Amino acid sequence: MTELLQKIAKMVELGKIDRNMPFPPELKGKDGASELTLKALEIGIDPQDILNNGLTAGMNAIGEKFSKGEAFIPNMLIAAKAMHAAMEHIRPYFSEGDIPSHGTMILGTVRGDLHDIGKNLVKMIMTGGGWNVIDLGTDVENKEFVNAVNDHKGAIVGMSALLTTTMLNMELVVKELHRIRPETMIFIGGAPVSQSFSDEIGADGYFRDPYSLVRYLNKDKLRDSQ
Amino acid sequence: MNDQHYKRSENFEPDFTNLLKVLRGKIPDRPTLFEFGINDRLIGKLSGQVTEDTSSRLAPFKRLIKSFVNAGYDYATISAWRTNTLSFPKGDIDSKESKSLNSGNMITNRESYDKYYWPDPEKGDYDIYLDLRKLLPERMKLVASSNGGLLENVIDLVGFENLSLMYMLDESLTTDIFNSVGSSLLRFYEIVAPIETIGACIVNDDWGFKNQTMFPPDMMKRWVFPWHKRIVEVIHKAGKPAILHSCGQLKSVMDTVIDDLKYDAKHSFEDQITPVEEAYDQWGERIAILGGIDMDFLARNTITDIQKRCVTMLQKSINRGGYALGSGNSIPDYIPDKNYLAMISTVKMI
Repeated sequence: MTELLQKIAKMVELGKIDRNMPFPPELKGKDGASELTLKALEIGIDPQDILNNGLTAGMNAIGEKFSKGEAFIPNMLIAAKAMHAAMEHIRPYFSEGDIPSHGTMILGTVRGDLHDIGKNLVKMIMTGGGWNVIDLGTDVENKEFVNAVNDHKGAIVGMSALLTTTMLNMELVVKELHRIRPETMIFIGGAPVSQSFSDEIGADGYFRDPYSLVRYLNKDKLRDSQ
Repeated sequence: MNDQHYKRSENFEPDFTNLLKVLRGKIPDRPTLFEFGINDRLIGKLSGQVTEDTSSRLAPFKRLIKSFVNAGYDYATISAWRTNTLSFPKGDIDSKESKSLNSGNMITNRESYDKYYWPDPEKGDYDIYLDLRKLLPERMKLVASSNGGLLENVIDLVGFENLSLMYMLDESLTTDIFNSVGSSLLRFYEIVAPIETIGACIVNDDWGFKNQTMFPPDMMKRWVFPWHKRIVEVIHKAGKPAILHSCGQLKSVMDTVIDDLKYDAKHSFEDQITPVEEAYDQWGERIAILGGIDMDFLARNTITDIQKRCVTMLQKSINRGGYALGSGNSIPDYIPDKNYLAMISTVKMI
């Protein structure tokens, strides 16, 4: 049983979606995350166990490699595809199709900025790490962040910016969110930002890569539940 | 500082041999400046001609060249988008100031690849490069670049996330797309590099994000680097130096850039990745280092701080050579003019 879950995790990490997938070349024609997940369900493995010790473990493995510079964005994208393909098989086992989550993150690229690769990566890794992500997209108006926080009580916020000019909008959002809901945790990311900028604008943190963020948040969750 | 009438000096005469010495890793006769691109407002101020004159084929270039001369450069950059010599038609891109690497993709599969209208590099009007001799001071040259680089154009055509999956799932299509773009760019440089007015070529191709290259080095080695190697070879064959302008974290491929691709100079540095001072220490004896005064630093610091850093960097390189002062990337319009002028004026303080 453990061996099968490890295999699922490995297929997610490698981005081997299913048998038809030609990548990685050495696994051509072999079962991928999709078939192995079906197999796990057939032999009665708990879907929650598949989620935690197969799919999420696989995403964590690739996220950690990315964090260390041993994996690249394409590896993350293909791993996320493999995870989503497998998730479709376990989704019906959860009530109303909802996968349990650690919490909700409201995510968006700030006003004036259309860059979304960093944001999309955060979404993938956060989802893989057990979070429900509300993706507001790119060029998000400040009030959209405010509305989303009002709609999703207790949610944390992630803001992304690629441009030196647009990162300044982060400060306005932080101020407004902290004014209406001081307890809201706000994290920032993107090429021009840094921990010192995060401190300067009063955000709760900056992370160089999405896995570092999810590791930080999930550590917090584990601590809270102890 | 009077930004309306800035001039390096009344007697300043551009002399490309200064930049050439820098590109060859040598010490120039005087502190040398390098910039890839300057915003139009600044070109207007430096040239004394606020709006572009389009009354003749050469008129817009007169303004551009005059601005580079007044600022104190020994050359003017000339991109293929200005000369309309080669560009790859793109799809609808986000019609705002910034642009996602995922937008505008026209090629998503074999069918769209086959239908795409590939531009013919032979059809460009390359005479313009030679005709510009009429406008250039005697010892001034042009530094030519294509309209985007190989990986940049492929990403524009395919979309970043699509390309990330495509190269793993359809190697044959990926190869065909890179070959189509790469062969056109190669031909562009093959035509442009030997032209008498061209002193050097910039190959502009962003490869990295903040933490690492956009794609794994293996992917770059297979599809990106071989074309760059061939492009550098044709530039060298014409006796001209080749400058790589590439943004992002490139540490993992810098040895390849220097030893295999054989670029003469590297441009584009960011403080949050590798500050130019560190880059100069690390690679400056093997490849010329250009610019590097971080754009965020330039945008948000005082004139005193900017000048202090620039003077220190010029002094650092004064006895070793292989360095020209400039920004980490380019001068977009959000950089205050006075900050840019503070930077370039430091060549007069050494």
